Amino acid sequence: MNPLCKPWEHATSRRQFLGASAGALAFGALGGMISPQAAEAMRKQEKQVLFVWLDGGMSQLESWDPKPNTEFGGPFRTIKTSVPGTHFSELMPQCAKQAHRLCVVRNIATKDNAHSSGVARIQRGDPKNRGVAYPFFGSSIAKLMGPTASKLPAYVWVKPGSGGFKAEDAGFLGPKYGSLAFGDGKPPEDLLRHASLTVEEDEERNELRELLNQRYTAQRRPTFTEASSFVFDSARELMKRADVFDTTKLPAKELDRYGRTEIGQHMMVARNMLEAGVRFVKVGSYGWDTHGDNFNASASLVPKFDRAFAAIIEDLAATGLLDHTLVIAMSEFGRTPRINGHVGRDHWPEAWSIAMAGCGVKAGAVVGATNALGTDVKDKGHDIGAVFHTWFKALGIDSKKVEYDNNSQPLPLAHDDMEAIKEALV
Amino acid sequence: MQLLRPSATLTRWLLLAALMASHGAFAAEPLQLQVDKLIVAKAAKQPFAAPADDAEFLRRAWFDFNGGIPSAEETKKFLADKTADKRAKLIEQLVAAPRFAEQMAEAFNIQLMERNGSNDEWRSYLTESFRANKPWDQMTREILSPDFKDEKLRGAGWFMTRRLDKVGQQDTDYPGLTRDAGRLFMGVDLQCCQCHKHLTVKDYKQVDFNGLFVTFQNTKLQAASGDYKTAWVQEAMMTNKYEFVSVLSNVKGATGPRVPLGVEVPLPDPAKDEIWLVPPDPKTRKPGVPKFSPLKELAARLASPENPLFARNIANRVWWQLMGRGFVEPLDLNHSDNPASHPELLDLLAKELTDHKFDLRWLIRELALTQTYQRASLLPVGAKSPPEELFTVAKERPLSAEQLARAFLAATGEQERVVGGKAWEGVEGKKHTQKDFEKAFLAAFANAAKEPELNVNPTLRAALFLRNNDLVLWSLQRRKGNLLDRVAALTDAGKVADELYLAILSRPPVAEEKAELEKYLTKHAATREKALGHYAWAMLSSMEFFTNH
Repeated sequence: MNPLCKPWEHATSRRQFLGASAGALAFGALGGMISPQAAEAMRKQEKQVLFVWLDGGMSQLESWDPKPNTEFGGPFRTIKTSVPGTHFSELMPQCAKQAHRLCVVRNIATKDNAHSSGVARIQRGDPKNRGVAYPFFGSSIAKLMGPTASKLPAYVWVKPGSGGFKAEDAGFLGPKYGSLAFGDGKPPEDLLRHASLTVEEDEERNELRELLNQRYTAQRRPTFTEASSFVFDSARELMKRADVFDTTKLPAKELDRYGRTEIGQHMMVARNMLEAGVRFVKVGSYGWDTHGDNFNASASLVPKFDRAFAAIIEDLAATGLLDHTLVIAMSEFGRTPRINGHVGRDHWPEAWSIAMAGCGVKAGAVVGATNALGTDVKDKGHDIGAVFHTWFKALGIDSKKVEYDNNSQPLPLAHDDMEAIKEALV
Repeated sequence: MQLLRPSATLTRWLLLAALMASHGAFAAEPLQLQVDKLIVAKAAKQPFAAPADDAEFLRRAWFDFNGGIPSAEETKKFLADKTADKRAKLIEQLVAAPRFAEQMAEAFNIQLMERNGSNDEWRSYLTESFRANKPWDQMTREILSPDFKDEKLRGAGWFMTRRLDKVGQQDTDYPGLTRDAGRLFMGVDLQCCQCHKHLTVKDYKQVDFNGLFVTFQNTKLQAASGDYKTAWVQEAMMTNKYEFVSVLSNVKGATGPRVPLGVEVPLPDPAKDEIWLVPPDPKTRKPGVPKFSPLKELAARLASPENPLFARNIANRVWWQLMGRGFVEPLDLNHSDNPASHPELLDLLAKELTDHKFDLRWLIRELALTQTYQRASLLPVGAKSPPEELFTVAKERPLSAEQLARAFLAATGEQERVVGGKAWEGVEGKKHTQKDFEKAFLAAFANAAKEPELNVNPTLRAALFLRNNDLVLWSLQRRKGNLLDRVAALTDAGKVADELYLAILSRPPVAEEKAELEKYLTKHAATREKALGHYAWAMLSSMEFFTNH
């Protein structure tokens, strides 16, 4: 029998909890009371997150932590980066030019080596078992920080495949904090204004609806109507910014810089969303599980990522957004140094790398190291719990003090026995 | 060794039940009056909302007992009726109509399956059972101990077979079935007791979870074959107790099938009893059929007048269904440290329901006749936020996605065309079906699977759906006989307002609303038809339409 409690335990308390807090979050301090200019200025200081998820496990040896001319090093050479003494794999020429903006942690040592459990465990920060499913990082930020003054949804996921409203990520926080997924970079159903309506008509009928709601709620409890107004407002803001999500109109020159690839397109959409004010953008990329033919696969995959990731770092730096945007690129684990019989690399949580940039993290730093063959971390590695503390701290959230309130059950934001990685923080 | 634990709460319930029974004067009064007395007594000096006006009552009763909204004609007729007992008559009519069983089946399907798929045989089992007004204890036994060979009853088994279906590579979710059975039929969420005693609820012990768990874990999901036309669950032989150990204290325990917080089922003794109905055949390797069915024995003891939590749970849930809030909240955390808001009233309902042989139709009719049910949702003057648990004001309740789809089609006058398939002649473009509407409304408004639907919960998805969905806007285009067609033909703004408000909100407009509409139509005189569509849209997207109030 499975000794662990099931994730949906305490679902009841979540329901109650949300009932009490949804309104408070929805009608935060900024709701519609400030001018667009002021909102823009205020938003500029608001912290945001770009989270790039390379599903299946990117090989650290073919990217951030190459070991050329060693037993397990593989065929690729290394190249110099913009940071003297730091080398990346030759598959990452563009990221090498951005190294002075990146912070690479090379001694990540986690516990799960299966995709089915690892993907969720890593993105939930693998806290101690509390008998509840923890939120993915995006849902956590949606809860803790909410939408920015832009009123756009707090947590958006640009991904290959299907889109829609993905509640699973939210864990015990409840579906409200799930992600709004743009499948194949396309907006979810019904996002675009209906062809039969003009902007003016749409605005006017919406004002009528608000008027009817005001009269209805005048002598009733306000909770439901307020919540309804909030989602209609969000819908309006989202519809207004439909241009942000339109991949068909991306300028050719920029697209060449990001790469005319899936991840290139999606990264550009992500940049537009961050510029528009989405709090947390996750970009998903699949197909990194290179058990067979790792080197040809990496030669194809890594440069696509390299180009897209370097381009967005460059753009975020140019607009100044990087100063308050935390950027993360990672997988659920790394890949084995040992090369298997299919010329592939298998799952390797023991020693792998995560790249970060922007808000709160030390630019140009390389934190920790693996041993000469890359088979293990030198000294003590960092588990995912420590990485979560690092992210929270970078965003100005004291994860040692702030707690979730799960129906008056206080829950820590991240593994309470672990600490932030100081060397990675400014 | 396990004994029945006489908890303080149980003792109190039994005492109260005995008191009630001996209280002659009290018992003589109809239940509806006793309910109102106890509600008023508890509210002390808090102001009560006025009685709901006829229109509000009519709409509420329709949603609750029919699942849809009345037509403009029906509304007008009811409002014009001057007879004193017209509300009681309406309740009688609605509860006696065929739609009542369908509405009950819909409500119980949502409550018991929590959007975890759909199944036609299960739905028709529920509908037929409510149509026959089958007692709730009997239904519960049929659901928890299904007869998979009976054509009419096997649908009930979907409650269990759906939950035992394997999802991907995960283990069969016996703990999930255990948890749901406790939550839904007894109002106790025992999940935390799987591995140890409950940390915050002292009534819930590890043995309570495991007594249910052992019963379900003894089953195996089998595919349809031979006599079995659907997937079914096979029970294995059980002659030993299930042993468990607390991961916190290492204390061991053992139990056979057991009603949570109740009695344990004695196991057969292979030395003394004949344990096989059909013994296993070693030659053909056919597994035998055990004489002892833990499911059947457990279901008989769980869904029984002897099990006080069984009656309390259903009384609490029926009250929640009609009043928007249970006496015990959350509905699945019945225990002595989480007392009911109205302990005597819940005890009374549980007892009366038991005495009436778990006749839900009777209980619902009684509750519908109370002043508490028939109160307005408008707050009494001066009351800013009266405590919900006092039931001084009618609470706004969520409408299910199905109710919304139905009400939307009825209000826009597209019901006959879409549902009945009539008068499609001359209609250009795609011919929409009832299924299209149900599917779209479910996708926009139903909760995620396995999330209980308990509260009004506006979502971004729903807002986008209402604003931009094809079906929504299609319904608001002028088409022969629909709402837009009817109002576009009217020249008088007052008459337009009457028609719109009666059709959509089931009430006549007030003067201010009439004036507003007239002003709006004057402004949009050049594009009157389109403007009427927008006005109707605004009404259909408003909270007044979207809640049961």
